[in-house]
Amino acid sequence: MRRGDLVQLLGPIGLVVLVGIIGSLGFVSPDRQVEILGALVSVAIVVSLYVFVGNSGVVSFGHVSFVAVGAFAAGVMTIPVTLKPTITPGLFSLLARHSLGNVPSLVLAALVGGVFALLVGIPLMRLSGLSAGIATFAVLGVTHNILANWTKIGPGPLTLTTIPQTTGMLQGTLGAVGVVLVAFAYQRSRFGRKLRAAREDPAAARAAGIDIHRERLWAFALSGTLCGFAGGLFVHQAGTLQAGDVYLDLTFLTLAMLVVGGVGSLWGAVVGALVVSALGSFLLDAENGDVGFVNDLLGKPLWGGSRLVGVAAFMALVLVLLPSGLTNGREFGLPRLPRIRRPVRGSAS
Amino acid sequence: MPTADAAPILQVRGLEVRYGSVPALRDVDLEVQRGEIVGLIGPNGAGKSTTLQAIVGTVRASAGEILLGGVSIRGQAPERIVRSGVGLVPEGRRIFAALTVEENLRLGLAGRRSKNGAHEALEMVNELFPVLRESRRRHAGLLSGGQQQQLAIGRALVAEPDVLLLDEPSLGLAPTIVDAVFEKLGAIRDRGVTILLVEQRAQRTVAFADRTYVLANGELRMTLGPGEAGDTDRMVAAYFGS
Amino acid sequence: MTEHVQTLLDAVALGSIYGLMAIGIGLVFGVLRLVNFAYGQLVMAGAYALALTQDVSVVLSIALCFAVVLALSLAMELAAFRPLRNASPTTMLVATFAISYLLQSIALVRFGAIGKILVVIPQLTKPLTIGSLHVRWITIVTILVAAGVFAALTLFLTRTSIGLQMRAASIDSETARLLGVRANAVITVAVLISGAIAALVAVILPMAVPERILVTPDYALRETIIVLVGVVVGGIDRLLTATLGGFTMGFLVGALSGFLPSSGSWPFTSSVYLDSAVFMLVIVVLLLRPEGLFTRSRRSVVDRV
Ligand SMILES: Nc1ncnc2c1ncn2[C@@H]1O[C@H](COP(=O)(O)OP(=O)(O)OP(=O)(O)O)[C@@H](O)[C@H]1O
Ligand SMILES: [Mg+2]
Repeated sequence: MRRGDLVQLLGPIGLVVLVGIIGSLGFVSPDRQVEILGALVSVAIVVSLYVFVGNSGVVSFGHVSFVAVGAFAAGVMTIPVTLKPTITPGLFSLLARHSLGNVPSLVLAALVGGVFALLVGIPLMRLSGLSAGIATFAVLGVTHNILANWTKIGPGPLTLTTIPQTTGMLQGTLGAVGVVLVAFAYQRSRFGRKLRAAREDPAAARAAGIDIHRERLWAFALSGTLCGFAGGLFVHQAGTLQAGDVYLDLTFLTLAMLVVGGVGSLWGAVVGALVVSALGSFLLDAENGDVGFVNDLLGKPLWGGSRLVGVAAFMALVLVLLPSGLTNGREFGLPRLPRIRRPVRGSAS
Repeated sequence: MPTADAAPILQVRGLEVRYGSVPALRDVDLEVQRGEIVGLIGPNGAGKSTTLQAIVGTVRASAGEILLGGVSIRGQAPERIVRSGVGLVPEGRRIFAALTVEENLRLGLAGRRSKNGAHEALEMVNELFPVLRESRRRHAGLLSGGQQQQLAIGRALVAEPDVLLLDEPSLGLAPTIVDAVFEKLGAIRDRGVTILLVEQRAQRTVAFADRTYVLANGELRMTLGPGEAGDTDRMVAAYFGS
Repeated sequence: MTEHVQTLLDAVALGSIYGLMAIGIGLVFGVLRLVNFAYGQLVMAGAYALALTQDVSVVLSIALCFAVVLALSLAMELAAFRPLRNASPTTMLVATFAISYLLQSIALVRFGAIGKILVVIPQLTKPLTIGSLHVRWITIVTILVAAGVFAALTLFLTRTSIGLQMRAASIDSETARLLGVRANAVITVAVLISGAIAALVAVILPMAVPERILVTPDYALRETIIVLVGVVVGGIDRLLTATLGGFTMGFLVGALSGFLPSSGSWPFTSSVYLDSAVFMLVIVVLLLRPEGLFTRSRRSVVDRV
């Protein structure tokens, strides 16, 4: 690996680790720690999403499906066996009679997400443009509808509770770092470079013998695996889970983070997730009256619910004013755009 | 019949256009006097279409001036330029195949400067191109190539432009139909419309136009008069020389 | 028997509402190549306008609904669609996603999560009895209004010059502009018509669909999702196919929810799995005919000989 590549990786990893360290400092309040942990989990989800969307250039509205199945798998399988009949009655007996530890549940979540993405991707990756967008959305609709109703595999319309909250600051940081590492390794691999070449110029890529359908499918499955894993982190942070937690709102939020940071780069995915999380935390503080200058300015705390409005407005604003995001689709530490293109040209020729 | 006193109806000065960082036109100067037919010829990729597109505002000029009747139109939206008296018959005709012939013509009315006289303008075009009247209820996509070319010209004419820009109107047409098209262009000029004609048929255009510019590699090489149509040596030199 | 007729009539009415929304989405897509995910929030805004003023007078309340929705449509066009004119379709879709959320969260902050009951014209929700058949007036009115809107719009698009320009701009907006068609004017008219249809839906929906009597921040969101899907499945390139796609979705949802049992322990066996069934169908259709179910040929209608 060249020095420039290392620098590229250093930015995202360094930032994630820094956030994790800040979250572990003694003087940080528990509330703030929860927010920081949430931000780290968001990084994991958004980077997982980026693996497909960023490298392929195809927007997916369905990735939260993979987060959802990962979260439900990890959640259902880590509730103590004795509590299952009360919390989620009606489970298949195989699910009802077994429980897993923390790490196995994360592996399971990744597997479930990956297999689901692979199965969905085989037919769907043939589509492109708007049809692909709508089809991924339809997958989300089906997944949500089934998770919200089918009590043999989960709580159905009820809420899953008593899930062990094992995603602490260390695990959250390591999880996010892991996802970033995989994403970086992928985009540097032959597969990733082929897919990026196809994103820049599909015709030329095809002429160079790249099977776009297959490359997309690999990215989709990998991205689904990471999403499932991130779903595991998500559920073990929250401790409770409802089908609605992993549906439209999360889809919106994660897409917002990716687009705000810049869809085209790993650095953008990380920055976007952290910036939007930070904005959310700040607005929440302001709603609670903890931000002095907002109180002074308004004469009172920010209106309740401003956080939602603020994040949505921020995303709309960034989209309209800076369509390629805060990082402009660049990787960390690279002053000019052309350098990011180099691997693309190399693999296309 | 150029009038001696008036300013040129269309004037292009120092025009430069770039696609990305590649210049497609460099320092192009053109003048078209009221009532003239002016030709613009050159090999493939010379920048002829780009010149017309820069005039109507569908590509951005990175430098230079474009004056219509002495007033700058550079940087204006295409619809505004068209509405101030420039008509374009684009490369490939760009007929609305799914609409009827009559609807295509009525669309051309959008470029008119005044609301009055639309009916007369349609009549005038139907007289000039009788085939359009005969097939007015048919889908334009069903017309033959020559008929579609007439429709494209008629559609630009119903706006009664001062200057008509044509991009290779004879492309892909049978020789007899090409003759008919050139004849119609003469008739259109006689109705007082100034014409800037982009063509690949070099000799034919030089002989037909009052003046013909030769463009190669994004630069103007020379201007030819009708008498020089036989001077193939000069033309070849302009096309392929540096 | 009569029960089935009632279910089918209700399904046709639901299809009509979805068809109306499909027209609204399809018109704007035609001229802007933009899929407006925030369309449902126009309906939501109209419904709040109605709900907050329903004590005053029906006429005033409906007028206000139209004013609010039209103003909001215009604001969307000026503040978001116009700056994004040359963006990619997916960027624009994501942007409207953001606008949709922005409007929902504003409604949530302003009006709270608890719904407001909205009955626009109580008389219309009473049934009309023909023999043993009970049909609510609103069912009939909905079908007639939708048919009327469709007919009027067809006339507008074929008979008026701005309508003709709109069709041309939908087929090939660059060529249309080269003929002097003022793109922004045409787009503004399309956005306004689309907004007026959203306002109309806001008036009809709470009466026609019993669950929609409650106006909440996510009002009409589910409908929008299903209509969007229907529009793409039907063929978003043309207004007729888009409308048919929307109508079909509404009809399917209405008919299936009438005929399926309301509970079952496996997916797809009861009406709670209706969304799954519809979305699965959509995926299948998209895979078989990515260019749209009702489109005639594989090639688009644009022809550049
Ligand atoms: N949209 C574009 N993007 C990039 N380059 C372009 C574009 N359009 C034209 N060019 C390039 O600009 C140059 C001039 O093209 P133009 O179409 O003006 O030539 P032309 O003289 O009309 O040729 P022809 O006789 O083939 O129509 C060519 O080299 C062409 O490849
Ligand atoms: Mg050309």
